Amino acid sequence: MKRRSAIKNLMIFAGGIYLLPSCTGNGKASIELKNLDILVGEEALLGEVAEAMIPKTADAPGARDLNLHLFTLKMVDDCHNTKDQKAFKAGLSSLNKISLEKNNKPFNQLDATTRIHFIEAVLKDDTSNPALRTFFEITKKRVIQGFTNSKYVMTDMKQYEMVPGRYNGYFPVEKV
Amino acid sequence: MPQLNTDSIKERTFDAIVIGSGISGGWSAKELTEKGLKTLLLERGREVKHIKDYPTTNMLPYEFEHRNEVPLAIKEKSPIVSKCYAFREDTMHFFVKDDEHPYIQEKPFDWIRGYQVGGKSLLWARHTQRWSDFDFEGPARDGFAVDWPVRYRDIAPWYSYVEKFAGIAGNKDGLKELPDGEFLPAFQLNAVENYFKEQVALKYKTRHLISARLAHLSQPQAVHLEQGRGQCQNRTLCQRGCPFGGYFSSNASTIPWAQKTGNLTLRPFSVVHSIIYDEKKGKATGVKVIDTNTKEEIEYFAKIIFVNASAINTNLILLNSKSNRFPNGLGNDSGVLGKYVAFHHYGGNVSARYEGPLDKFRTDGRSPGSGYIPRFRNVYKQETDFLRGYAAGFSAGRGFYSDTSALGEILKDNLLNRKLGSWRVGSHMMGETIPKEQNCIKLDADKKDDWGVPLLKISVDFDDNDVKMLNDYFEQVSEMFTAAGFKDVKTSKRPGAPGLDIHEMGGVRMGHDPKTSMLNEWNQLHACKNVFVTDGACMTSTSTQNPSLTYMAFSARAAHFAVEEMKKGNL
Repeated sequence: MKRRSAIKNLMIFAGGIYLLPSCTGNGKASIELKNLDILVGEEALLGEVAEAMIPKTADAPGARDLNLHLFTLKMVDDCHNTKDQKAFKAGLSSLNKISLEKNNKPFNQLDATTRIHFIEAVLKDDTSNPALRTFFEITKKRVIQGFTNSKYVMTDMKQYEMVPGRYNGYFPVEKV
Repeated sequence: MPQLNTDSIKERTFDAIVIGSGISGGWSAKELTEKGLKTLLLERGREVKHIKDYPTTNMLPYEFEHRNEVPLAIKEKSPIVSKCYAFREDTMHFFVKDDEHPYIQEKPFDWIRGYQVGGKSLLWARHTQRWSDFDFEGPARDGFAVDWPVRYRDIAPWYSYVEKFAGIAGNKDGLKELPDGEFLPAFQLNAVENYFKEQVALKYKTRHLISARLAHLSQPQAVHLEQGRGQCQNRTLCQRGCPFGGYFSSNASTIPWAQKTGNLTLRPFSVVHSIIYDEKKGKATGVKVIDTNTKEEIEYFAKIIFVNASAINTNLILLNSKSNRFPNGLGNDSGVLGKYVAFHHYGGNVSARYEGPLDKFRTDGRSPGSGYIPRFRNVYKQETDFLRGYAAGFSAGRGFYSDTSALGEILKDNLLNRKLGSWRVGSHMMGETIPKEQNCIKLDADKKDDWGVPLLKISVDFDDNDVKMLNDYFEQVSEMFTAAGFKDVKTSKRPGAPGLDIHEMGGVRMGHDPKTSMLNEWNQLHACKNVFVTDGACMTSTSTQNPSLTYMAFSARAAHFAVEEMKKGNL
């Protein structure tokens, strides 16, 4: 049992699931990926993007606290097709360059409001940076999924009941 | 021929052999062992013990690596099973992956399979509606297939028998087209479902909406507690296997019950190659099994054999059981074996929105139940330009949603403070299809699977009757929705080939005449009396009702008949 808990300690807890860490020190992402080739710096940058989308607030954890950037990597690696994976990687790689062009600063040096405005502008922009747009779309979808399905939201915030043991088809809607 | 195993023939001899441990095989095994017969229950897949082998049953949504999404690599390897609504990360270990068990589709056929102890009884939708004589008399009245050799009065006591043991929740609705049974309290319909029920009753004399009858323990009785099962806890995570035994499955109910008699030998990893026919004795003497792990070939012997391998695989076993007497498959003097296969037409959905005074209600908790509209087309007489008709599922629900358009703190706030959505209603079609000779299953002449069993070639398709029926379903249900005042009524075709309904039936049909059918009124092969077929393969026609309850009733009835016949020395 000691061995099992030791292995568990080595694993990374991402919004409720344990991800296997990769070999460290090779400059690659901290979790094992089969299809995506993500660098340490890109993983950190993805963390900044995820945190911009769902930031830590006084009363609730943010995307990085819940490791939703790692969850996003896991989902893109296992559940998306090659086309998505390529666009995701290309978009992530281009993020700082395009941010420099548009904001005169790399993404991680922008303030929170500018980050949001920048992401929103790209998401609305149909043509000029398609890979970055796809990257933001996928990340937003997966970060929202990871957040709403996190232990924090489902269990601590009581949005999910495993065993209701009841059904009321005439439950009065609370007056606002 | 070589017998590689060291067991003596005596150790491989039983009173009865049951092939397949799914919903019908579980019942055959229960009845035969209760009657004192030493019974060998063969299952081609692995063991799945109740509770112990439900690895995902108590997992929270965030404990799934992919939040219950099936990874792309698995979907790409198994495109057919990936179409199934129940194939998710939490259940995929209970489904056959396409690449592991190939078959040949002469026409597209989505064959959904569960190879394990309990079979698909772990995964089924648990709806249990009785047939009536409007169903059993269908082929004779409308001139298709052959006349069923049974009527409702023959099956009714056996419906009661299996309902009491399995535990069926439902109301006594007093409908001729959907006879009442032995019911536990029904699951309650919600505000909008009841509203639609009232609207249908008000506007249509011959159409009804009821609470669907379901194999769930809404109020367990002594016989259910004795099985070790408890009350349904409204988890609606049924396909993972229920730790409460809240719904009926072979694993929770019939198999442990059979084991308690001391008369059951359960052998997983045992694919049946064929049934052995003895020409001198004029009957079957046993089965040839391939151990799927060792590939060892073993023969088992018994006085009677129940074939419950699931509709299509039962056809396969009989087709592959060739002898001098039966060169075209066991009992196949008529040539109809593998033919007249049919299925249920699940090709359409209608959805809409409700707004009105019931917006003051929502639902709380979860319900395994839903509404059910029994067939109303062509019931008393032919009235449309297509044969037969459809039943319709109906449900209403009201969920929460979040505005996800923003980013940052606004997005987070929206996700944490969900809004109540409007009531949505939906219906799905469950149509009867007409068995036809060209809708058939054959063995490939050359290709074999890993166990030396010929590959199946499936050639089953929709026809004009199905197309007309789908259009009528769209028209009628849209009209009913509109009449009830629902808004934004939308119809949609459900993609998928035949088979995705998971209600494939026929190929070994029952009938009066050995020249045109395989089985008699007791599910007994006309030409080989000690072999019984009581799974979906026996079905002469499909009706519209979910078929499992009828398989259970046929299994129990045939098992009792077989035991009586053995006592009389007729088998």
